[in-house]
Amino acid sequence: MKRGTFLASLAIACCAAPGFAHAFLQRAEPGAGATLRAAPRRVALSFSEKLEPIFSGVTVTDSSGRSVETGAVVIGGHSMVAQLRPLPPGSYRVVWHAVSVDTHRTEGAYSFTVKP
Amino acid sequence: MSLFCKRATTPRVLFPTVSLIFAAVLVPAPAVAHGIIGQRFFPATISTDDPFAADELALPTITSFDHETDIDVDYSKSIVRGFAIGIGIGHVDSTALGNPPARGFGNLAIAPTLEVYRNPEHEFIVSTGVDWEVGGTGSRAVAERTSTFTPTIKFGKGFGDLPESMKYLRPLAVTGTVGYVIPTASDEPKSIEWGGAIEYSLLYLQNNVRDQGFSNVVAHLTPVVEFSLSSPTRAGEGGTTGTINPGLIWSGQYVQLAAEAVLPVNRQSGHGIGFIAQLHFYIDDIFPHSLGRPIFGGKK
Repeated sequence: MKRGTFLASLAIACCAAPGFAHAFLQRAEPGAGATLRAAPRRVALSFSEKLEPIFSGVTVTDSSGRSVETGAVVIGGHSMVAQLRPLPPGSYRVVWHAVSVDTHRTEGAYSFTVKP
Repeated sequence: MSLFCKRATTPRVLFPTVSLIFAAVLVPAPAVAHGIIGQRFFPATISTDDPFAADELALPTITSFDHETDIDVDYSKSIVRGFAIGIGIGHVDSTALGNPPARGFGNLAIAPTLEVYRNPEHEFIVSTGVDWEVGGTGSRAVAERTSTFTPTIKFGKGFGDLPESMKYLRPLAVTGTVGYVIPTASDEPKSIEWGGAIEYSLLYLQNNVRDQGFSNVVAHLTPVVEFSLSSPTRAGEGGTTGTINPGLIWSGQYVQLAAEAVLPVNRQSGHGIGFIAQLHFYIDDIFPHSLGRPIFGGKK
């Protein structure tokens, strides 16, 4: 096989492959480092890949480490959403882990603040 | 990273006229590793090796510096989780002043990588391996007839564990590699090859420190400075030579693009400013259920 053919076949194979990949965080509400005047009612995370609900999750805790979520985290498609109880002013920590449908795992964490 | 970028004028590999299937089934991978540890994503560096054992393909890596142009291909295949073997091939075209033009394929390079320590909490990884440049497999015009073996230690460290007061340094990460080059020919000098990378992840900044409102394209950029050096082990065999390579890496879901300038650290290292560029495929993401999985051990 000539080099050009080799390269072309490889490129086609790669581009045409029904790929999956690591699920990277693409959007977060509230975002990392945000300072909010009004307490958010939920944390919503959007990912680059479809998630495996059983192996993915998110927790939101206050500065003393207590969970502030209400109910179960809803995970579907590319997103996960955690409903929050009314939050008093303070600093909060979001910790997530995501397993894409091809079993690749990613994780992350960030903080946001609710102003008095 | 490219197996061949480490040396300016030596080995490159035979360009096998093999099919994609051959490549897919046969080969393991060398020096092109991206990886994730803890909350940290490390892109594949292109001038130096990074510590991850992964399924990847760098095709091509083009280097132009000091009257030499190299085109390299590196492929890495995981055998079991945490252990991969890389193979590299490359073509050299040298027109150094004062020397006749030299052109041909370099020696085959084989580079196993074994991850020996992972600490996700501190985004820290150590790996090791013995790189083998297979003497006599390349063109006589550009490749050595004898082999070299290079026991190597590599590491990666992200700084996501820095305190809140230093949060804007958390996107920083470093990788490093140190290898002892042992030629099989007794008259050839031993040397130490060392290098590394300092990188600042905009993705980490955006997702873990403070949302900067970056677009999805910008968020996947990683400014990087790599350095690749070689030092003789004996006095009288010359001084340290190498290059410093500042550049930019863009990491997509399946591919990575990278480009760096190549700056010599001293006169003995070359003249002028060169460049290195690479197109890199994340085989583990492109083919997660087949070629991108370890041969033994199944799921990642």
